[in-house]
Amino acid sequence: MSSTKMDTFSARELPLLIESFVSQLKRGQLVGSKTVAINTASLLREIVSRSPWEDIPTLTGLLKAVGKRLLRAQPRELLIFNVVCRVLHIVNEDYSSVEVVNEGGTSNKKKGHAGGGAGGAMKGNETPAMGLGQAGTGQPRNLGEQVARSMDRAALNAFHLKSLVIQEINDYIVELEKTEEEIADNAREHIHSNEIILTCGRSATVEQFLKHAASKVKIHVIVAECAPAYDGHEQARALAGPNIDVVVVADAAVFAIMSRVNKVILGAHAVLANGGLVAASGSHTIAAAARHHSTQVVVCAGLYKYSPMFPFDDDRFNTLVSPDTVLAYGNGDLVDAVDV
Amino acid sequence: MAGNSTFGTGFNVVQHYNAVLQQDPSISAPVAAVSSLVRLVEQQRATTMLELMKIVPEACSQLKRATHDSISLSAGCDVFLQQMARLSQGQSAEECSRALIQAGSEFVQGAGRCRDRVAEFGSAFVRDDHTILVHSYSRVIMGLLRRAVKQNKRFRVYVTESRPDQSGLKAAEELQALGVPCEVVLDAAVGYIMEKVDLVLAGAEGVVESGGLINKIGTYQLAIVAKAAKKPFYALAESFKFVRLYPLSQYDLPTHRSDLLAFKDSKPTEDWHARLAATNPMLDYTPPELITLLFTDLGVMTPSGVSDELIKFYLD
Repeated sequence: MSSTKMDTFSARELPLLIESFVSQLKRGQLVGSKTVAINTASLLREIVSRSPWEDIPTLTGLLKAVGKRLLRAQPRELLIFNVVCRVLHIVNEDYSSVEVVNEGGTSNKKKGHAGGGAGGAMKGNETPAMGLGQAGTGQPRNLGEQVARSMDRAALNAFHLKSLVIQEINDYIVELEKTEEEIADNAREHIHSNEIILTCGRSATVEQFLKHAASKVKIHVIVAECAPAYDGHEQARALAGPNIDVVVVADAAVFAIMSRVNKVILGAHAVLANGGLVAASGSHTIAAAARHHSTQVVVCAGLYKYSPMFPFDDDRFNTLVSPDTVLAYGNGDLVDAVDV
Repeated sequence: MAGNSTFGTGFNVVQHYNAVLQQDPSISAPVAAVSSLVRLVEQQRATTMLELMKIVPEACSQLKRATHDSISLSAGCDVFLQQMARLSQGQSAEECSRALIQAGSEFVQGAGRCRDRVAEFGSAFVRDDHTILVHSYSRVIMGLLRRAVKQNKRFRVYVTESRPDQSGLKAAEELQALGVPCEVVLDAAVGYIMEKVDLVLAGAEGVVESGGLINKIGTYQLAIVAKAAKKPFYALAESFKFVRLYPLSQYDLPTHRSDLLAFKDSKPTEDWHARLAATNPMLDYTPPELITLLFTDLGVMTPSGVSDELIKFYLD
């Protein structure tokens, strides 16, 4: 046990950490999904290691409260929800494995929705609940129920758990960092020599995917420029190299060139529960054009981007930005009429 | 003994089933069936597993015969039989019966919550200013709309009249009592109004292995029009309505009779109203390609997710 003085020092720093992260999110200073995911996971790891908690319900309560704050700060970053859920899942999994060891394998008397088995092993003297969704092992249906179940358990010695959880969160962060590499490893199977590939906007995942493929075969890449931010120009600059011929086209030309394209490769900001994408503006147009020409559309997105949300409204995920790049303030009629 | 409907203890499972339905009109057929089967297991005096495993399936067939092979009731019976098969591993008849009674009673008690969970998952899809098209009367749909009203959402509902029993009128009455603006639409007019509709909701008698839907006649038509107009078509079903059928056409359903719409000779003074009621089907099958999503108590799933759940339950 570290000294009390050290504990209070770390505990005081924690609110500062959270506040600075929240304000970074609010101001949109964190660029790139992977950055947000890794920073969120690191923050949650700091909370686990530094905040004073004695039992699991307190810890999960803390994590959930911080998660809610982060989501409110930047509701468009759907992956915050995923990362928080994953960390909660880690906590609960470790909790169940430690609990089974502690109780020496005595059967858990809990009945009800999830059928009771802690690690999922069905013990002979339990009655599995009836009906679909209560499959033989008695595993809980979804993450939400797993989290809810944890609230019913008796307090467990937190000491054993802390180091285990922190270790697992570290593993998760390493997993996040290697996402793009692992996706790029698939590149050779999907991209063949001399293929013409269309992409849109700026995506680090797609860039690495294409570069990995280009390390073995020659490919031609057409990048839609994605006005008014012109992310496509940056992507083209990043991609250009040996074995990759890059062409930048205007967004309006996408349908016209689609007949020459072999494959479309897109990045995504988030993947929704019905399989839909939240992606760079212009992706929908490209996908519709590809559908018309029966061209394959491949999406490269890390698992942390897969969100359980449904797109209830068509425009809920739209991000609106300043029109300054299209129509400069100086040229607008309004400017003369405004006194500041 | 086969044909003896009282199983030697004077208990008539069909009678009990009808009594349960009469007592509580909001209970659904499969839940009432399981409740009757639980009562049967309580009453029977089988001393061996073999006897028990003859009595229960016999009772199930009686129920199916009495309700003309009702699909949802068959689904409920199958769940009960599968549970019995699971519990019969290495146990005596006494222990198995006791476990079965407990599982069955918990199921019946939990079944009411199933509808609530469906409503919970589905009500998020109803937004302000939506126009919803509902087919016929379905308690699950009413539950969902009631929940949406409680969430202070403002929406309008078209309800299909749903001939020949005109059950859509009952739905319209209930919606009016809730304060939801509604209109009753002729079954033939769904194409006419489909453009104005934001989403279509349908209940379910049963959900088949392919993810297709068995529901009141008219659902298939509605789904085709919705697909043509590119409107989402959502089906609401509790998980105990998942049934192990795989119909390849409309005429593959167990409720199909060869005398339905069979051009039998008609008299010169034929009463066409009566003939219509007698020769028309009451259920139809909607293939999974026409269904956008299924709202179930296990969550919101695509039609292809249904077979996963069935496999997990029946073949684990």
